[in-house]
Amino acid sequence: MKKARNDQFFSNLEKFVDKVYPNQPQRQPYLSLKSWPSPRDEAWKFSRLGKLARKNILPLSWGNQQDFNINKLIKDSISLVFVNGKFEKKLSDKLFSEIVIEEVQIEDFKEIINKFDNLSVKNHPTLNSTLSCSQKFFKIKFKNDIKFYKPIEIFNLGGSENTSIHPFIYIDLEKNADVQVFQHYSTHAGLLTPFEIINLSENSNLEIIKIYDDKISSYNLSLTLSVIKEEANLRSFALIKGGEFTRSEMHTLLEGENSKADINGIYLSSGNQHHDLTSCIYHNVPNCKSSQIVKGVLGEESTAVFQGKVRVEKLAQKTEAKQMSRAIMLSDKAVSNSKPELEIYADDVICGHGATVGELDEDQIFYLSSRGISKQKAKVILVDAFLNEMISLSISDKFHDIIYNETKSKINKLLANEYE
Amino acid sequence: MPILEIKNAELSINNKKILKGLSLNVNEGETHAIMGPNGSGKSTLSYMLAGRDGYELDNGSITFDNTDLTPLSPDERSNLGLFLAFQYPVELPGVSSTNFLREIFNSRKKYLGENELSHLDFIKHLRKVAENLSIKDEMLKRYVNFGFSGGEKKRFEILQMALLNPKISVLDETDSGLDVDALKIVSEGVNNLKDKNNAVVVITHYQRLLDYIKPDIVHIMSDGKIIKSGDADLALYVEKNGYSEILNEKS
Repeated sequence: MKKARNDQFFSNLEKFVDKVYPNQPQRQPYLSLKSWPSPRDEAWKFSRLGKLARKNILPLSWGNQQDFNINKLIKDSISLVFVNGKFEKKLSDKLFSEIVIEEVQIEDFKEIINKFDNLSVKNHPTLNSTLSCSQKFFKIKFKNDIKFYKPIEIFNLGGSENTSIHPFIYIDLEKNADVQVFQHYSTHAGLLTPFEIINLSENSNLEIIKIYDDKISSYNLSLTLSVIKEEANLRSFALIKGGEFTRSEMHTLLEGENSKADINGIYLSSGNQHHDLTSCIYHNVPNCKSSQIVKGVLGEESTAVFQGKVRVEKLAQKTEAKQMSRAIMLSDKAVSNSKPELEIYADDVICGHGATVGELDEDQIFYLSSRGISKQKAKVILVDAFLNEMISLSISDKFHDIIYNETKSKINKLLANEYE
Repeated sequence: MPILEIKNAELSINNKKILKGLSLNVNEGETHAIMGPNGSGKSTLSYMLAGRDGYELDNGSITFDNTDLTPLSPDERSNLGLFLAFQYPVELPGVSSTNFLREIFNSRKKYLGENELSHLDFIKHLRKVAENLSIKDEMLKRYVNFGFSGGEKKRFEILQMALLNPKISVLDETDSGLDVDALKIVSEGVNNLKDKNNAVVVITHYQRLLDYIKPDIVHIMSDGKIIKSGDADLALYVEKNGYSEILNEKS
């Protein structure tokens, strides 16, 4: 009988691991996943992997060092370059003594993974493929009290069609550390499964800006697990514009009181792209705040989904959680899905959510045109404004223009294609 | 010379006739007031003039400055020199007020074949105009109409009018939601812009605004038509006796 799906990748993965790491039993448990999630799997209902499953993708071995142009967004940032998932010291800037990059073993972060005791994490293809076949696991440690005013820019580069790369990065902030990180995903990989762990110790602050801009044929299944301790603050912003299929999935555990997580994002989708922002926030203790605010602009035949979940445990009184998604459709062939979920077991909480999908506002277009602005220009202004407001809300002022410019070329392209 | 000529305008919305043969002539240098009870079609008239989608004429004609307005889009009408001050100005979150004003100012300049102003020169010009309307710099840093009070929104409309220097301005219920001080500022703003080459049409429910913006001609509108026109005393008559007497007179 003909198999309906082809999950060749997982047998390739097994062969690869058996060959390259014959004596590393700690990788074996992660080889038990044998197939891609199916559309019947609730977590992947709106993001189907059928096309990926039919591809014959092979894990990429680390080759010799290649040359890359590193295009920093911030002039005085410190770059850390990962090619095919491997840290390239020679391509990276020199580190300061307060930052340490070290190789770690699965045992060193397994405890963090185990805190996310649900099947959508445990059976996640990214977690399993990266832990079974990533050659090295890197941890970037920011020491106690470090206040770092130079942002770190992490570049994920490399890859080629029909091969997969599996970068692993563990970002660890010790007490009172205050750090800003840019994560670039600019690979040419057929499949990219970046797996990240973020650990924020007491009173630490991390602003992380992820820019997904892989090659137009790439599949990026990014997974981030974050644990946040007392008084710590995670400010995460994802800008998704590249790839054929990009999913940014974040699971965030607020486990210390008075901690805060903002997991926001923008997706800009054109052609046949599929973009997915999936976020689960777990409020396990009282007095924490979170937000999940996502905006998208879709053109042509693109599709996108926002899946936001907030789970508030019985203990977690005085939780404030906000969830909002808004999509602007520039084409009637584009499709946007939104799945907000609130699971609340505490009684003294403030949780709000809302979702809208629609065209640009006719009243706003009329107001602008009544002032002499053409309808098309009015649309450009309104899309710009829609994003501008979101960027201002989500990231530090000093990065505003940089991120705004990162949206600009894609927006111009989207609008030009719609109205030409 | 007539700057605006509306002849027998008929217009329906959702198959319901709202304007039923409205005619109006406005000459250069004149100020007209259109008064009428709620539901008489006053706001429909303003949207029809500005060219809003869905407010196309079934019958009749509109000529503005010797140009047939009916086929023109709202931006083309604005560029020709027609301005509508909205009854409910629209909030544009994310659009900075200063950038917006510069955009509309320069697009009008461009249309008129005049030089656009540099950013710095524009800011100087804007400060001067804004000051006359008691608009502070702080307000111009905010998003367009976003979180503005009722009075701020109306002043911001007049600020746009001042920057665009239109040939005809239609003020739709500009007095609604204004206290006396704000009413004075807005009216002065309008009066300062008035000269013998332009015209103003004030659409209002109450006579109050007409104490500050003196009309040359007052029209009473009812059921989609102008049923009576007269001088400024007509507004005072309505203030004293209400609309019912005039309406009864007609029927």
